[in-house]
Amino acid sequence: MIESFKQLEEVGRDRDLAEVFLEVDEQEHGTPGEQILAALRKRREVMRDCVERGKSGGLSMGKLVGNEAKKLNEAFVAGKTFLDPLTIKAELYALAVMGENSRMGVIVAAPTAGAGGVVPGMLLALEEERHVDPEKTVRALVIAGGIGSIVALSANISGAAGGCQNEVGVATAMGAAAVAYMMGGDTRTCIHASALALKNTLGLVCDPVGGLVEVPCVKRNALFAVHGLTAAQLALAGVESVIPMDEVVEAMVRIGRALPRGLKETAEGGLATTPTGCAIGQRLKDEANQRRAERAAERERVAMERKERVTPT
Amino acid sequence: MDYKLNGMAVRHDRKVSILDVMGPVMVGPSSSHTAGTARLGRVAREILDEDPVDVHFYLHPPLAATYRGHGSDFALVGGSIGLNVDDPRIPEAIRIAEQMGVEIAFSEEDLGDVHPNTVRIEIRGKKREAEIVGSSIGGGVIEVFNINGFQTRFKGDSPTLLLFYRDRPGMISEVTRIIAEEGINIASLYCSRKQRGKDAFMQIDVDSPLGKTALGRICGIGDVAEAKYLDRIP
Repeated sequence: MIESFKQLEEVGRDRDLAEVFLEVDEQEHGTPGEQILAALRKRREVMRDCVERGKSGGLSMGKLVGNEAKKLNEAFVAGKTFLDPLTIKAELYALAVMGENSRMGVIVAAPTAGAGGVVPGMLLALEEERHVDPEKTVRALVIAGGIGSIVALSANISGAAGGCQNEVGVATAMGAAAVAYMMGGDTRTCIHASALALKNTLGLVCDPVGGLVEVPCVKRNALFAVHGLTAAQLALAGVESVIPMDEVVEAMVRIGRALPRGLKETAEGGLATTPTGCAIGQRLKDEANQRRAERAAERERVAMERKERVTPT
Repeated sequence: MDYKLNGMAVRHDRKVSILDVMGPVMVGPSSSHTAGTARLGRVAREILDEDPVDVHFYLHPPLAATYRGHGSDFALVGGSIGLNVDDPRIPEAIRIAEQMGVEIAFSEEDLGDVHPNTVRIEIRGKKREAEIVGSSIGGGVIEVFNINGFQTRFKGDSPTLLLFYRDRPGMISEVTRIIAEEGINIASLYCSRKQRGKDAFMQIDVDSPLGKTALGRICGIGDVAEAKYLDRIP
């Protein structure tokens, strides 16, 4: 059993990190490595389908977002973007997944739905742009999951528990380690990639407008997908985090506890309580009440009809 | 430490697996508000073990403030009528439930010093009724800490036997002996009772599925009122 990143570094020295994680998971949960890989192969496919669907856009449930991927894709295809293709695709794929998510489409929570664009954005973009063997991407998903499972030993992976650092922050750390692995980094490099990525997300609050996973979540996923790539790049160049990953996670937990309730997914602070945020929140509430009233009226109508049918004439 | 339950510090005592972190495959938009809540609804449905006719969801205030925009209402209802977290029909769950003739109600209730995303579910079928209190703690992971009034720790991540019986000496050993004779390993065991010698509850999480014969033998033990076997909650 691996209980810390320090221990992971020792156990994983001179070993393939995916093998280490698969072995540990099998011991701990009894799921054979081949079964985990098979499941992750399917999940990679779900991610890819999700990206394809998401590119065509469509309004979200709260009608606040949904067409970001479509716009970026159109600009990219038309040659009207200035960033390099890897960066654009990382943003694009993260936006596509989050767009699907906001329309109640089928996605892979990685580690959560609200942070579900970061890992596929980074990994699928890299796979395409650097011609990585898809099987290596599947193994990189093992790395991402393994890193997340160690974080989860001490931190609750939800915005409600510790703000967005616990969701997008952790997703970025998972993705950064996975990218470092795909680019040939060893265990130590992967751990430093995750520490660099997570450190830079500390304090990130969860202040969703109207309580929806739309604003700022969708675009944030895209921007942090790029952030994760840069963290992996630093680590692969030998840059290390001065603060070890275990301590970064501990700091994250402490910061999460210190954050006021209003900045932990309740939509009672931050962006959610800006004038625009409040106005949107009010509109959503009104619409929900109206829908509820309509549903109640519909139920009543159906009940009346039923009554009429059984009443003998 | 994550949160407190009745003044006691609660810590995850079970490790989260790779597939839990990189998953589940689910209908959006929120793993704790959609996937986790759907699984909580599903737990209630599985414990009831028949089609529900009436489900009442009591939401802890922070969840009550956020549930609608995340589609938690669809998810809770979807789970309670037996839909999986990746079922594309979840967005239609309330309509489907109404067509099935299920009465649905939501209200707010302060459930104490618990995780923000906590819900109490009262579910009633034609023959039986059940009640659970549980939290969706992130990434689709759940913790049910009360079943039919008994304190417990249920995560739905392994096959589980739920036993309702009359408290008496020797019950645990009789049950565990049968499970051992089937060659099945016990991962964890929780017991609680309402009063000495009165209604008691046992939850046994096992590493591999429990066969019908074993379940039959356990049901046959004197003083066992009811035994329910639940598969892993998808």
